[in-house]
Amino acid sequence: MRVHIVKREDCPLLKKILLIVGAVALALVLGGLVLLAMGVNPLEYYFKMFTMGMVGNKIAYKAAENYLKILVPLILTALGLSLAFKMRFWNIGGEGQFIVGAIAAAAVAFQAGPVLPTPVVLLLMCLAAMVAAGLLGLFVAALKVKFGTNETLLTLMLNYIALYFLTFLGETKADWNFFLSAESARPTFASFTSMVSFPRILLGKFGLNICVIITVLIGVLVYVYLKRTKQGYEIAVVGDSMGTARYAGMKVSAIVLRTVFLSACLIGLAAAFKVGTAGILSASITDDVGWTGIIVAWLAKLSTVGIFLVSALIGVLQYGSTAAAATFASVDSSFADMLQGVILFLVLAADFFTRFRVVIAKKEVERHG
Amino acid sequence: MKKRILALVMAGVMALSLAACGGNSDPKSSNSGTADSDFKVGAIYINKKTDTAGYTYAHHKGITTAMDELGLDPDSQLVIVDEVPEEDDKVAAAVDTLVGEGCDIIFGISFNYLNAMNAKAEEYPEVIFSHATGYLSNETNFNNYFGRIYQARYLTGVAAGLKSLETGNNNVGYVSAFDTEYAETCSGINGFALGVQSVNPDATVYVKELGAWSDEQNEYAFAEELINSYDCGIIAQHCDSAQPQIAAEKAGVFGCGYNSDMTVDAPKAHLTAAVWNWDVYYKTAIETAMTCGGAENFVTAMGGPAYYEGLVKGLVGVSELSDNCAPDTQAYLDAIVDLLATGEWDVFSGVKLSYTKNEDGTVTITQTDSALKTNDGKEIVPAGGKSVEDSVITGTMNYFVEGVKVG
Repeated sequence: MRVHIVKREDCPLLKKILLIVGAVALALVLGGLVLLAMGVNPLEYYFKMFTMGMVGNKIAYKAAENYLKILVPLILTALGLSLAFKMRFWNIGGEGQFIVGAIAAAAVAFQAGPVLPTPVVLLLMCLAAMVAAGLLGLFVAALKVKFGTNETLLTLMLNYIALYFLTFLGETKADWNFFLSAESARPTFASFTSMVSFPRILLGKFGLNICVIITVLIGVLVYVYLKRTKQGYEIAVVGDSMGTARYAGMKVSAIVLRTVFLSACLIGLAAAFKVGTAGILSASITDDVGWTGIIVAWLAKLSTVGIFLVSALIGVLQYGSTAAAATFASVDSSFADMLQGVILFLVLAADFFTRFRVVIAKKEVERHG
Repeated sequence: MKKRILALVMAGVMALSLAACGGNSDPKSSNSGTADSDFKVGAIYINKKTDTAGYTYAHHKGITTAMDELGLDPDSQLVIVDEVPEEDDKVAAAVDTLVGEGCDIIFGISFNYLNAMNAKAEEYPEVIFSHATGYLSNETNFNNYFGRIYQARYLTGVAAGLKSLETGNNNVGYVSAFDTEYAETCSGINGFALGVQSVNPDATVYVKELGAWSDEQNEYAFAEELINSYDCGIIAQHCDSAQPQIAAEKAGVFGCGYNSDMTVDAPKAHLTAAVWNWDVYYKTAIETAMTCGGAENFVTAMGGPAYYEGLVKGLVGVSELSDNCAPDTQAYLDAIVDLLATGEWDVFSGVKLSYTKNEDGTVTITQTDSALKTNDGKEIVPAGGKSVEDSVITGTMNYFVEGVKVG
């Protein structure tokens, strides 16, 4: 008996959905066993998790706001990554591009915040973050186009350079370092919330951050860009086959440079939104969106609409598990992390089965074959 | 089709948020007539709530012990967001979660939570906020708390000094997370050194700085270096794990731990540890919160915005002396605690202690006026002067006293 893995020609949507739902259910059952072992009622826990602790919560609007705060940078980063991934340019540098963007946005906030009107400052923050992150992406793309370097390795390594630079800024007290709080004897990042922050539209008590609206708009733009424009078509062709693209007379280098710049720009914008909402830098400003964004983009099969959906679900997982863990004495944040890991792992495994079939070949078949 | 799904989800999100707003239009006032069984305690931890040793564990044990004593059930009345890094937006989100769960008092245990807690105390005036190791507060619902751990350090210093007399080795090592940049570590080192020198004036305390609150590998390695390169016979510490004590045990020398009784970790080396009894504060704070009749009265009911107690109230102390201690150590410590309880002396004053052992086993203390000086000769307190605050709350003790050397 031999086991073959055969590519599926086409997996019906219903089957796909069933596989993924099944994977999540299996993960929940596994997590439930662990919960039972810890003396926690899994149903109560999961109810809390999937409702993100909003039921019976007297300030549920805050939970919704905090949930959206997690969501916006994740969606934008995943959208950015999807542009590059469509072209088969493996941008693993979301973390680094995010950090560089965040530093640029914070620099503008500190320097321009006290002198310019808030809307201008916010606009400049976004622009600075996009350009800074974009240039970092462009740098890697240029090396790839010119010298054929491996973008996976370069973007990955640049992540650490960016991260250590941010840590350096956070730990070095000096006259030039305006990122740090002047009042604190210890080096801590200064807050600029009192100077600039993104405006919110109040719907009752719920404050809808303007970043959320812009993110939805950008989602529409990216969708149109990829599906309806010449440049979007070029990305698809380059992704399918560089040779074909060249044969068709496309300037492949220019397309790669442009797309990677755009990809990193969106990640920079995610950073600007994050920094402009938090009002402060921090060593873990990215919340790992550079990594989670890769998972989101992948699970969404690089579909723009899919990215919104998957982000929303992963956001529920992230925010919900914190809310749920808080109320159960024996459940700490490690369980929340573990459960997220199990769910993602099984969903990725299910994803594998939507694309491949396992076939057990019988002996006769083997002989004939 | 896909667009329709998206639209549905969006609609769903909007509906949820609107429903949330609707639900909030009639907020229950949590403080009017709160029964004990409704009272909820919230906490924000820097590490895991399931830890079994270290800083977070000490606080968690303090809160649960206090709740047990007050007849509250930690399983249902304590809500904890753990592993919250020292970042404003994460702390703010944690506070939102706790307030949403209906907490009446929220404790934050790490220094850099202070700005977020300060802002949230203003946003939620009906909830009490209480922050450890910080210096911010307001006049109504936000206080800070810490303890005079330097007094406990002084006692462990005396135990170490007596041991150094017994072994004849005047070199004492101290593995510290930070040195003068944090008043908390700095005052600990100074308190310990003054204790050592009160019994052994020839002793020197060598400090090695880790640059991190927790770094198990270097905690061990630095202790080893103090033993091998500085010939230290006793290793004290201000860091999270028991690694320095384990290193001392392996090298056959002695040590003083911190935070928990580390005799368990190094039974042949450990003398005694400076420990926190956080339940002393938590009991006072929770009891006050339940009885003060509204969050706005909390700070007044606590007697001020900064709670700062020490050995006398039992907020700090030393763990049970191990058999490794020099004979009569307990008698020395008892005499010092008695003196502290009178309130006429404290560690960072211009009065130095010396001791005479009586025939009946007790110890008599002699007080001598002598200026408190830094290790580069600057006078901090003139001879006979009153004790300076260790300034942990405001963070200005940034010098080492005589007898301390940076290794």
